[in-house]
Amino acid sequence: MDHILSLITFIPLLGMGIICCLPKNAVGLIKGVSLVATGIPLILATQLWFGYDPASYDPASGVEGEYAHYFTIPWIKMIGANYTVGVDGISLPLVWLTSLLLFLGVPASFGIQKSQKAYYALLLLLEVGIFGVFISLDYFLFYVFWEVMLLPMYFLIGIWGGPRREYAAIKFFLYTLAGSVLMLIAVIALRLDSGTFSIPEMVQLAQDGMLTGANLPAAGALLGMEFHTWAFWFLFVGFAIKIPVFPFHTWLPDAHVQAPTPISVILAGILLKLGGYGLMRACFPILPGAFFENAYFLGALGAVSIVYGSFVALGQTDFKRMVAYSSVSHMGYVLLGTGALTVWGTDGAAMQMFAHGTSSAAMFMVVGVIYDRAHHRDLNGFGGLSQPMPVYWGLTTFCFFAALGLPTMSGFIAEALTLVGAFQSEDTRFQALVLFSVIGIVITAAFLLWAIQRVFLGPLNEKYKDYQDMNFREIFCMAPLLFLCLLFGVFPHLILDVMEPSISHLVDLLVAGGQ
Amino acid sequence: MDVYSQGMAALAPELVLTATALIVLVADLLTKGRDSKRMGYLTLAGLAVVGGMLAMRIDQPEQTVFGMVEIDAFGTFFKLFTVASVAVVTTFVMSDRNERKHNVGEYYFLLLGASIGIFFMVSTNNLLLLMLGLELLSLASYSLAGFHKGERKSAEASMKYIVFGGLSAGLMVYGISLLYGITGTLDMSIMATQVGDVMPYGLAHQLDVSVVPVAVAMVLVLAGFAYKMSVVPFHFWTPDVYEGSPTPVTTFLAVASKAAGVAALLRFIGALFMAEGAQPVVEWYGTKIGLLLAILAAVTMTLGNLSALRQQSLKRMLAYSSIAHAGYILIGVATMSAEGFEASMYYMAAYYFMNLGAFGVLLYFESAVGSDRIEDLAGYGWKSPLISIVMVAFLVSLTGLPPTIGFYGKYLLFKAGLNHGLEWLVFVAALNSVVSLFYYFSVAKSLFLKDPSDKPKLSQPVFAGLLAGLGLLTIWFGLQPESIEQLVIRCALF
Repeated sequence: MDHILSLITFIPLLGMGIICCLPKNAVGLIKGVSLVATGIPLILATQLWFGYDPASYDPASGVEGEYAHYFTIPWIKMIGANYTVGVDGISLPLVWLTSLLLFLGVPASFGIQKSQKAYYALLLLLEVGIFGVFISLDYFLFYVFWEVMLLPMYFLIGIWGGPRREYAAIKFFLYTLAGSVLMLIAVIALRLDSGTFSIPEMVQLAQDGMLTGANLPAAGALLGMEFHTWAFWFLFVGFAIKIPVFPFHTWLPDAHVQAPTPISVILAGILLKLGGYGLMRACFPILPGAFFENAYFLGALGAVSIVYGSFVALGQTDFKRMVAYSSVSHMGYVLLGTGALTVWGTDGAAMQMFAHGTSSAAMFMVVGVIYDRAHHRDLNGFGGLSQPMPVYWGLTTFCFFAALGLPTMSGFIAEALTLVGAFQSEDTRFQALVLFSVIGIVITAAFLLWAIQRVFLGPLNEKYKDYQDMNFREIFCMAPLLFLCLLFGVFPHLILDVMEPSISHLVDLLVAGGQ
Repeated sequence: MDVYSQGMAALAPELVLTATALIVLVADLLTKGRDSKRMGYLTLAGLAVVGGMLAMRIDQPEQTVFGMVEIDAFGTFFKLFTVASVAVVTTFVMSDRNERKHNVGEYYFLLLGASIGIFFMVSTNNLLLLMLGLELLSLASYSLAGFHKGERKSAEASMKYIVFGGLSAGLMVYGISLLYGITGTLDMSIMATQVGDVMPYGLAHQLDVSVVPVAVAMVLVLAGFAYKMSVVPFHFWTPDVYEGSPTPVTTFLAVASKAAGVAALLRFIGALFMAEGAQPVVEWYGTKIGLLLAILAAVTMTLGNLSALRQQSLKRMLAYSSIAHAGYILIGVATMSAEGFEASMYYMAAYYFMNLGAFGVLLYFESAVGSDRIEDLAGYGWKSPLISIVMVAFLVSLTGLPPTIGFYGKYLLFKAGLNHGLEWLVFVAALNSVVSLFYYFSVAKSLFLKDPSDKPKLSQPVFAGLLAGLGLLTIWFGLQPESIEQLVIRCALF
């Protein structure tokens, strides 16, 4: 019996319950409860990371060997849904990142004045949903958590967002729901075919060549498509919208730009990772045949996202919109690396999720800092800010270098691994994709450096000369993220060692299952 | 005990219900309509007794009373459903400030009368008794729809309802007469198994000769059910009648009356095409009817959802949403399987919680804000937080998102559809729930996303506890759906 994962997941729910009982003008108390309710999961998750022994990873000995802190009890017996949780090298770093970003998200939200009780309650509910997705090993449970996340996000964007918040909130909700209803159909079909909701069991059945729709009427054909094809695409679209992959990305700039800073941080830092994680956990290994057939196409989608995202970011004049499009570009690596079907490529993809989680979160904080002072985000409206705000300048430059993948930063390791891994792919067409993606790297460097130039260099705009530099709270929120970029850039083995066994196993599954 | 007393004992719930109705009517006359609150309590007490009696007989053996009334668990499920809905509607009436000025005693009498109609409608295999039950329900509903006598809208609603009701009842009776001509019986439970060697030859023989008369009869009878359930193309009355009727009546029509239609349809389809020992040709024809129902389901949910998108009035939006939900419920029927029928029954249970809740919130805002326009609710979420948060739970459930009972209901329907070769229909239904999110959340948007500063604080309604309870159950049965699913399986037709 191992409850640490359940504790991590449900302590924020408890915190939410307490906040709901507090009077709404007890703001200090509400913030305190939020800090504690996000702090305890952070401590537990840290303990989880240090207690995780990659050497003990042994998928051959069943689920207990494959997943640490594996725990299962029946939930809805009549349909065979269980409460099954566990972490491996792929989910563990993301669980930890979630606990960190949500914890930092609380002090980052101290500036918010409107209906604070509701805000922190929703923030904690959001955390429950995110943790739940990362630890679920039962597809029904996974789906429930996946949807639970949407509601708080809708209100967080819709109530505390910018001028076009209503539009952005419902657009986010509709896009994600469109993806997830397709996912639901695929999940039910998989359940009917396999007789189980357990993700590890589905993966095993797929390896044995059993998951072919044979138990469904008409062999599971839908509108003329074979079962494994449509099930794969339904799941893929559900996750791809979340990543977001070109051409499913159009909700992202709106949601990001309208969301308040801490929510943008969480959106970019974690919610996008759910898409990539979902593909690695609950889509590719369950339908490896369809994945194998379409691997090149997926890699190409990734490469297009990299280049397209960077070009669009280059064209933006809104600071936040630029950062939002950079996410489209950076998350493209996840698909490119996984599609290559090599250990290095997939390692790079998983690492990129973590690296982007830290660097993009920091970038949104950078935008938040200047927006709080100037109340606009027009890149061309700034200039010379390095004079009144030297610390801000320094941290921003650090952060942008991390984002553009400068050596010694985690983003560099991730991108390098991805590209090398893609180059190694047995499918030589991936070499062309790598060459194409390099355009994206150059353009990314261009728009980030150009943004630094426009905001910080040049003559000082008189309006801004009295601006305060970053205060302690802002530095406190941003510094840990930048430290992580540097730490995992200089000592990548700290995270790669954790992920490596699970990733190798995943790639084995994909290659073996696809052939 | 002789047959007659045994039969009367089996009909005890119906008798108690009739007695309650009569007592309420007479007592109201004697008090000259001044003591309406007490009439409400009397109604609730009668319903509680009936509910208790029904709950005790779920697991008792089936019996046929007077050769016409089937006392079985399936009927009991829908009777319990009716009693529970009418009880909530009665509470709505008692706490609705707009109702005080009318003769509320008659209101309760009509509600109880309609319930008696439903009781017989859902527990018979005899098409004639089914028709009588349906007409009793309809007559009571016509009067209820027009209950706000002085109001143009209410009178118009009643009139429209009568015209449409009369038309579809006529069609249905004609369909029944054709079926009688073909089979020589009004008992639908023996139609499927008739062997055609003597006059009248029966369904199977007729299908061998020509399907046309059967097809015509089926379409006509289905029209009657479609009208009660507001299935396209017999849905035209729904938005106007729902909008014009007093809100508690709308609630009754949307929940109890629709459930009666669903129950009768399930029994009819089940008896005619899925009976044990049914002739092969009848079963084959059943698959055709299944396809027809699947197409109706797709059209109904799509049309309901698309029309709901443009509505300004919350009441009218809920009317279209109830059309869309009729489409979802039909998925289970169209699978022509025990699994699908159970899914439809489960979805009705889900529908009970989320729709009663949503209509209750509508009733509250109508009297507190004085308008049912969605834009007039702007910002009231912050002024009346409990009711509005509960409303969000109902909206989430209506959309079909976890962790609510509406999600689990949709899950069962989708599962049944995928299991019986209706993938395309499940696909259409899934896309429909995305569409429905947009209009359901326009309410949440208005309540919470708009600036509340110029709005007065609202008092809690008297039935706030009831709504909160419905909201909690909506979520609780989404997380622990087994108790209801077990009840459904105990009460299933097959």
